[in-house]
Amino acid sequence: MSEIITHAELRRLMDDWIARGGEVIGPAAVKPDLVQYARLESAGLMLSGYIHPANSIKEFFFPRSEILYRYKFTGKKIELSDVVNDPVKPMLIMGARPCDASMLPILDRVFNWDYKDNFYDKRRDAATVVTMACTEHDDACFCTSVGCGPAAEQGSDALLIRLGEDAFEVRCLTGKGRALFQGKTQPGERTAEIPPGPPLKFDADFVRKFTRDNFDNPIWGELTLRCAGCAACAYTCPTCHCFDIVDEGNAYGGARVKNWDCCQFSMFTQHASGHNPRSAQGQRQRQRLSHKFAIYPDKFGEILCTGCGNCGRICPVGLGVLTVLEEISNATPSLESVEPV
Amino acid sequence: MIVDQLRELCARLLSEGTAQVVIGYGQAAPGKPAYPVFIRRAEDADQLVWNDQCMTNLAATLKRREVKALGKPAVIVKGCDERALIMLAKESQIVRANIYVIGVECNGAGRPAMAKCASCDVHVPRWTDTVIRETESQAAAVRTTPSSARYADLEAFMRKTPEARLAFWRAEFGRCVKCYACRQVCPLCYCERCIADKNRPCVIDTSATPKGNFAWHITRAFHLAARCAGCDECARACPAHIDLRLLNLALAAAAEDHFGWRAGMDPEAEPPAGAYSLKDKEDFIG
Ligand code: SF4
Ligand code: SF4
Ligand code: SF4
Ligand code: SF4
Ligand code: SF4
Repeated sequence: MSEIITHAELRRLMDDWIARGGEVIGPAAVKPDLVQYARLESAGLMLSGYIHPANSIKEFFFPRSEILYRYKFTGKKIELSDVVNDPVKPMLIMGARPCDASMLPILDRVFNWDYKDNFYDKRRDAATVVTMACTEHDDACFCTSVGCGPAAEQGSDALLIRLGEDAFEVRCLTGKGRALFQGKTQPGERTAEIPPGPPLKFDADFVRKFTRDNFDNPIWGELTLRCAGCAACAYTCPTCHCFDIVDEGNAYGGARVKNWDCCQFSMFTQHASGHNPRSAQGQRQRQRLSHKFAIYPDKFGEILCTGCGNCGRICPVGLGVLTVLEEISNATPSLESVEPV
Repeated sequence: MIVDQLRELCARLLSEGTAQVVIGYGQAAPGKPAYPVFIRRAEDADQLVWNDQCMTNLAATLKRREVKALGKPAVIVKGCDERALIMLAKESQIVRANIYVIGVECNGAGRPAMAKCASCDVHVPRWTDTVIRETESQAAAVRTTPSSARYADLEAFMRKTPEARLAFWRAEFGRCVKCYACRQVCPLCYCERCIADKNRPCVIDTSATPKGNFAWHITRAFHLAARCAGCDECARACPAHIDLRLLNLALAAAAEDHFGWRAGMDPEAEPPAGAYSLKDKEDFIG
């Protein structure tokens, strides 16, 4: 026995959500050659034929730029105004990839382990996340190597699995998911098949141990020599979550804002003295991989990577996490022969 | 085959000590975009590839301190990449004599070929230390393209109303996440501290908001005016597919219109922003 929803009914559900004043976010062809998660004006047609959007759903929870408070100078007085309690609209994320939704429990911990980040939490509370199981993968995908998969349930309120040409099997996973699909599905005889995921590509435990034991290994610099030092990988990554806090304004006032930042920029660790503890790109790449495969797992028990493959697909020099980890896994027996860079 | 000649030359340059590193193209698998490789041992020369996936402008790697640390470079360039190299020499960023430049004849990069290739008139690099070409007969065919072909996309865009153009840029810049991939892959964006990174005080809002993004894009484009070599690497690197090419074309067209200048086309010519001439226009000073 399964629960089934037709494409038409699903579109109706999305349009109703918008009509009631909510926001719907889903994969959209924002340009002829570009699929991104974006706010949808209407349910339109379900996209198919893409592997993974060129961004992640991260920005709808943790926006690229967010005002923390505003300030105003009047004479010698400073006036602050709070924005944290500004209401957010109910948000329905429709058709997220499981490797995107899996980022939510990961970021929940980051934004709540000591300080409770109300900005993140209010969006999280307002969101219902519906994932769609992947029927295809490309050679950048590696979800199965990091404990995820084409029908992974982490972070999802309801999972849709393709059932023939015009329907999905619905698996409600949380109260939010059940509330969304209440009365919208029909019972069915058929159950959908979970498609196979990508093959295992590296051993994450080995990587964790390797990053711990090889802080000064020249292999980091060697394998990442072509890295251009941008943030294309981090800003399209569902799990990267670094930010910088800056004041932007003029003599009369302005705002304190929280903006995305990235460990691949040379400025990221630049001290005011001029000293930079991570002065070479290899050290910065080591940081990114260590954070994902050792530091975060040591602290929270899970890998800070869902294997979505965006970093590999999007990197201007074809250097994703996967490329480096595969090479480390292959190169390890002959590490001694690597010349220092 | 060009690739065999490239590998042979690379091995020779390294074993003779003419260069300590050969910067060329490597590839993970056929049909995948090629990426920079840094060959330091003659026996690794067979890592080099040459095919229509060699889009990267390798001149951009020369600015990186990790690459400078490798010693005297030999670098592989296509005709359009060579234009960037000429600009770098003009702007005293490289000493041309300290770099061995390997030119390769190119008949289009990308599949389908990148937009710039349709109006390319630099298929054969001209000032390199050596040039590797398909065949001698092709060499004879010098192709020139009229400027109307170079700026066709710009001219079509400029026929839209100002409102439509503004709406277009709002949507394009609206997707900018400020990852600075466009800057990092650009051969001419070599400032050690980009104005976008100045924070004492902050010159350009770091926020990826409409204001911050317009400020970044206008600044980037203007800082490259009459300098941009038109390699379109910025546009190719952008994860949000923002049409940076169109923006660059507008400034290239202005430089050609007003100064008869195309960046990096002639190593002897003085760049408009870097040279003073009595004939310089001053009719805009009221
Ligand atoms: S590191 Fe790469 S594969 Fe892992 S979650 Fe981020 S973008 Fe996806
Ligand atoms: S790995 Fe690629 S995307 Fe990431 S910083 Fe380096 S060049 Fe940019
Ligand atoms: S512009 Fe010319 S030289 Fe450059 S890639 Fe295209 S065809 Fe080759
Ligand atoms: S590469 Fe694209 S998204 Fe990144 S800063 Fe440049 S224009 Fe913006
Ligand atoms: S601005 Fe873009 S097209 Fe111009 S030189 Fe830089 S990367 Fe190439």
